[in-house]
Amino acid sequence: MTAGRLHPFTLLALAAALPALAWILPAPAGGVWTAAVALLLTLTPGARLTPGASPGFRGVGFSPGSRPGLVVFRTALLTAAPFWVFLRLLHDVPTTIAIGLRITTMVASFVWLAATLAPDRLVEATVARGWSVTAAYLFAATITAVPTLRDRARRIAEAQRCRGLSPRGSLAHRLRALRALALPLVLSALHEVDERALALETRGMVSGARRTPLAPPPDSAVERAARWALLAACVAALIWRFK
Amino acid sequence: MKSLTLERVSFWYPATEAPALRDVSLAVAHGEIVALVGAVGAGASTALLVAGDLAPRLTGGRLAGTVARRDRSAIVLPTPWTQLSGMAFTVWDEVAFGPANLGWPTHEIARQVDRAVEQLELGPLAARNPATLSGGELQRVIIAATLAMDAGLLLLDEPSAELDAEGARTVWRLIRALAKEGKAILLATSALDALPDVADRVVWLEDGAVRAAGTPDLLGEVAACDAGLGTSVATLWGASGLPGPYPLTVDHAVRLWR
Amino acid sequence: MIPALRFDAVTFSYGAGAVLRGLSFSITAGERVALLGKNGAGKSTVVRLIAGLERPAEGTVWVGDWNTRDCAPEQLAWRVGSVFQHADQQLFARTLREDVSFGPRALGVGAREVERRTDQALADLDLTAHAGHHPYDLPPALRKLAALAGALALEPALLVLDEPTIGLDRALRARLTRALLDRSLGSVALLVITHDLTFAAETLERGLVLDRGSLACDEPLAGLLGDVSRLEPLGLLPPPVAALSVALDLPGRPVRAADAARVLARVARGRPGP
Repeated sequence: MTAGRLHPFTLLALAAALPALAWILPAPAGGVWTAAVALLLTLTPGARLTPGASPGFRGVGFSPGSRPGLVVFRTALLTAAPFWVFLRLLHDVPTTIAIGLRITTMVASFVWLAATLAPDRLVEATVARGWSVTAAYLFAATITAVPTLRDRARRIAEAQRCRGLSPRGSLAHRLRALRALALPLVLSALHEVDERALALETRGMVSGARRTPLAPPPDSAVERAARWALLAACVAALIWRFK
Repeated sequence: MKSLTLERVSFWYPATEAPALRDVSLAVAHGEIVALVGAVGAGASTALLVAGDLAPRLTGGRLAGTVARRDRSAIVLPTPWTQLSGMAFTVWDEVAFGPANLGWPTHEIARQVDRAVEQLELGPLAARNPATLSGGELQRVIIAATLAMDAGLLLLDEPSAELDAEGARTVWRLIRALAKEGKAILLATSALDALPDVADRVVWLEDGAVRAAGTPDLLGEVAACDAGLGTSVATLWGASGLPGPYPLTVDHAVRLWR
Repeated sequence: MIPALRFDAVTFSYGAGAVLRGLSFSITAGERVALLGKNGAGKSTVVRLIAGLERPAEGTVWVGDWNTRDCAPEQLAWRVGSVFQHADQQLFARTLREDVSFGPRALGVGAREVERRTDQALADLDLTAHAGHHPYDLPPALRKLAALAGALALEPALLVLDEPTIGLDRALRARLTRALLDRSLGSVALLVITHDLTFAAETLERGLVLDRGSLACDEPLAGLLGDVSRLEPLGLLPPPVAALSVALDLPGRPVRAADAARVLARVARGRPGP
């Protein structure tokens, strides 16, 4: 049973509970456990590449032979790494570890969520609960926004490299390089927002639309209980911590 | 009564002095295929947005004149990848996205989607992730997705732009079949060579205004060829100094030659 | 003479199923080659391999005397100008001129040389009048040409273009043809992926046809484009001018519009009246 088969709300609950617990529970033990669980999640099957992040035509480098689980794991670590460096510059070792583990938990949870949560299932789940299609879509889009932007950034980076942009060199050089990558990303994304808003309307996404759920993800009593249990655990931890 | 009527329509994009459309009048009847031709920037895409009630409602700007629509419309944009939902992991789900948003019952959705998938010959791709498709495959998926919404008025902006020869043939054949079913079709295209066999009428837009309108024979006239809007055969015929009006297609030219 | 580009038994796959199998061909300086084939035949992959964005699983891709395995894409930019589909998304500078000059500046070329190359590239595509405009203020068709100008400004020995004519009207396509023919006279090798056979007939001279990852055909376009029996199994149709040449049995079977017009005029003059 892969994580992707769980109800989207369960995935959301898990991705929210782990960072919450990381911050509530005393450091560093609390952080160690939650970070370990979060990183372990990134290794589970069911974590996959989101739409847009596919090899070939969208240009994401996907080296043959590496399993999707490792990609997610690596992404989580690589995203969290700069924070550790930053923290170490500002704080002593114990504080660095304490905060670093909490941040790692947050990053890993979010990266895992973005890789596991199928946006169409989230839309179906929220629509089945009575949300309007535009609200559901917006909610799901915020979660897929980062992987989509990252994918676009990679395509732009490729195009600029093919024009001679080198990611190496002096700091000044790298800052200039950043501009050549960040600007087209922002400009084309903004430009596309206008186009997308119009384009999505053409697909029937108008305000007030009542969408037919095509395949609402099944929700079991076990999962519902698990979600409540996660909430209860967070509340209990809060009470215990501040007793 | 026609499916779509534009009467003396002028349109200005926001913060632009020059109108994108000037006093344009055209109509599309049920079962009719009308093609808009013109240079880049002549206003064909804008005309489609106005026809589809997307301009000025979503684009902003100002509209003068009247637009009368009898049916629901659906549009295929010249940038089909922007029309991807981003929410579907299979082509089938992608095509079903629109109908689902329209709130139809599931059996009706399945019927429309299966039909559209078959019409665009997407069977082998039905389980593929839309993100892994090539530009041409994607364009066919978006066309299918638009057809599945079962609109009476179809607005197509460069439907064959990204397609290879086979894909283009499928789409043109399909457009003729849809017109036979009674749909009204307004399309903008630079694939002039396909029009003699596809379009019932051609409207030539220049700088936002209608320069000429008539049957596809328009594309064989001297004026059109001089403006770069003749078919390849017609343009060639004219360039060789033979008298006009010029033949539109190879078959036509062969008959004229004999 | 070392070819500008050489594929040596290149095999490549993205996962399951090979996209390219044992592909071999070479292109010399000044040659103008069309890469044809159905959607999904592997053409875009060829571009990515040349640009150094992917490495072949087997075989070697040579750009001049450089093995792409040993080069990063930014190094290959010294020799290859690649323009991908939807390249207009890479534009970013405040003005068109600044964006076009990005390539030569990134290569570290001197300021005067940067200016010369930029001016030349803009002039080649008739974009000089728009040089001070913001790229996103240009209509989409001109943005496509702007991306191409960026590649021309690199003044590479090899230009690789992926479907450059989509969204261009006849006038802009003619502009593109002129610019490419000019460059090829200056010994630049061209490899253009296109499904627009009319454009290929006007601009290019040799056709490589990919079918399911291997080379089905490698020969001059003049003969290939009029041959329905060879084109049809590959999912291609002769472009109108070539088809007309065959149907009217014009001497020399010209495939370019200007040549066909001349021959047609000559034959028409020599015919007895109707």
